[in-house]
Amino acid sequence: MTDREKFISNVTASLGRSTVLVPSDESGTDSTAIFEDAATAKSHADRAMSYASERSTELIDRMANMAAVNGWKVHRAGNPEDAADLIADISEQKGAKSVLRSTHEVLTEIGVDSAVTNTGATLGVTEHSGSIDANKIEQAKSDAFTADIGITGVDYAIAETGTVVLHPRSGLSRLVSLAPPTHIAVLRPNEVLDSLTELFAMERNDYLSGDLAGSMNLISGPSKTADIEGTTVTGIHGPLEVHLIILENR
Amino acid sequence: MKPLTLNFRNKAAETMGDKQVQQSLEHVYTGFFKGRLEAAGDTPEWEELRDKGKAIKDHTIAHLDYYLGMLADNVEKNGGSVYFAENADEARQHIIDLAHARNIKTIIKSKSMVSEEMALAESLNDEGFETVETDLGEYIIQLAGETPYHLIAPAVHKSRLEVAELLDDNYKSGDRVPDATELTMMAREKLRGVFARADMSVTGVNFAVAESGSIALVTNEGNGRMSTTVPRVHVAVMGMEKIVPSIQDLSTMLRILIRSATGQRISTYVTMVNGARASDEEEGPEEFHLVIMNNGRQNLLADPQLRESLNCIRCGACLNACPVYRKVGGHAYGWVYPGPIGSIVTPVMTGLKDAHNLPAASSLCGACLDACPVKINIPRMLLELRHRTAEGSADTAERTSSKAERGIWKLWRAGMMGRKRFDLGARLSWLLLRPMAKNGWLKKTPPPISRWTSTRDFPIMASSSLRSKLSKRTKKAKS
Repeated sequence: MTDREKFISNVTASLGRSTVLVPSDESGTDSTAIFEDAATAKSHADRAMSYASERSTELIDRMANMAAVNGWKVHRAGNPEDAADLIADISEQKGAKSVLRSTHEVLTEIGVDSAVTNTGATLGVTEHSGSIDANKIEQAKSDAFTADIGITGVDYAIAETGTVVLHPRSGLSRLVSLAPPTHIAVLRPNEVLDSLTELFAMERNDYLSGDLAGSMNLISGPSKTADIEGTTVTGIHGPLEVHLIILENR
Repeated sequence: MKPLTLNFRNKAAETMGDKQVQQSLEHVYTGFFKGRLEAAGDTPEWEELRDKGKAIKDHTIAHLDYYLGMLADNVEKNGGSVYFAENADEARQHIIDLAHARNIKTIIKSKSMVSEEMALAESLNDEGFETVETDLGEYIIQLAGETPYHLIAPAVHKSRLEVAELLDDNYKSGDRVPDATELTMMAREKLRGVFARADMSVTGVNFAVAESGSIALVTNEGNGRMSTTVPRVHVAVMGMEKIVPSIQDLSTMLRILIRSATGQRISTYVTMVNGARASDEEEGPEEFHLVIMNNGRQNLLADPQLRESLNCIRCGACLNACPVYRKVGGHAYGWVYPGPIGSIVTPVMTGLKDAHNLPAASSLCGACLDACPVKINIPRMLLELRHRTAEGSADTAERTSSKAERGIWKLWRAGMMGRKRFDLGARLSWLLLRPMAKNGWLKKTPPPISRWTSTRDFPIMASSSLRSKLSKRTKKAKS
């Protein structure tokens, strides 16, 4: 018997059974609702997306309110130029020397690169080509830890909780939204989901169709702690300051 | 970690006499307890969410063997490895072996109560690995050489001055005490250096998703994200009960966990990882290992009266609600899990005989049940354990009551079972105690009753009972 078999048969015995009972084999009421089938999962995910575009205006307002509650500095930009100006302003305010960005489409749309470089800062993109080796990994790490600002788009946002959702991948590093002391996220209108229910419905549908991302980060404000005398302090391991720029029109 | 449950009385008395700690414990009430109440009040579907959470956990625990197999299959499918550890020794040794085999130098640890069961950080340091706790509270506790005081606020008992002495290398007694922000920034600087050189991480698991082999980590500080990003090896450790079947269950469980823990709608970070980094990523660990530990949980599982305690999602709400925890503090409970839920799992995992004071340290007010996000009936189980220490269950070795004590209660029971016997007993007790009483109250008594009367007066029986007075009146009225 392997360790695993021994361990699980021990659990089976503790449950008072001699063999593993598959939940769906039961006639009980709790058995069938646990896993929804693929068709139901797909319809939930589709509904989540269509709701996000139908109710976009309302969802953006709720997102803006909740994000502010969580400590995002929320800015609204009427057009791409305003968004670029906002980023340049933050960059100047912070005296940023080095800025790192993801390859989110929205960032090229608003012309982030020239906005940042015009302030005199250097701009790096978390993108790589060819094979990944140890040197590249170390370089990426040190770039992120020395950057003053990280800029990303948003994969989804969640109105219920004021959350920005990012799926790290090639072109969107894990550290760009974590290591620099300031993070700026740029949000487009129909990316806001109603609640966590919709997010995880979509994740589950992705999983069932074989498209689940390797990892996911939900970000709701700046890094914080209350471990010293219960006093909330902003900025412990992640960013001290986070900006959410909502691009109203595309 | 070696249980010190026998010291409950001494440690509790010590804490209650410590003004500074008593003041620090106020944060538990004003911060967490009130925060949870507000968050629940702001959530119209709160009771539905609790019922849903309970249903998910009930179902999962009832089929734990099935879901453990499913989880392990899917973690392996994602390229991770799974190690099943029967006890803390096996789990600890596996992680030590892993670190040696990978030639690891620096290990960053994220908060994990399961790793406290293994005394993991200490053991890894003893093995020569630089091992640093990265949750600020845990870091403070590690510097102080102590164990966590609370499930989610490990250093809640420490004052700013104590933290300054631990964190600030230049602090001299009498200097101005730095404020919380300054101290936090000092820790940030120190830990940044550790993150940059860490080559392995050990994290806990808030939820493991069986169907996809994912784990979810909840933090406010971002150390959970650092741990799943910077080092080349990621080891996640979990108690075997920490499973949910489906990805969708996370929306319910995260909502109730976070509101119950800190009163937030969501924590700053929720991180979900499905193994090591993707092939097109530059960041993230090359290896993912999941360690699933039993360590005595099977005793809770096999016990129909206590199985429900495995539904616990370690939010700490019952600690914050408990009037006893808020006075005796986390260290009195003597092992990893303090407070009301600790008073159930600790005795079963470490032995009821030495821990018999834990289930007794409750007024049975029920505040823990009201606070529990998955509606665990803690008071019922505390009573069950008290029953076992008094009477002994199948295992009379658990019995801690003396023969005399049991004899007295037998006599009491006999006396309560008949009208005449009850009246006679009441009359006798009045006759016996009257000479010692003043105006119907006992102020001083010989041992063992002196333990009661040293802190409160004891009322003796009245000279005649309400019943006899009533029946006299009725007779008078009739005549």
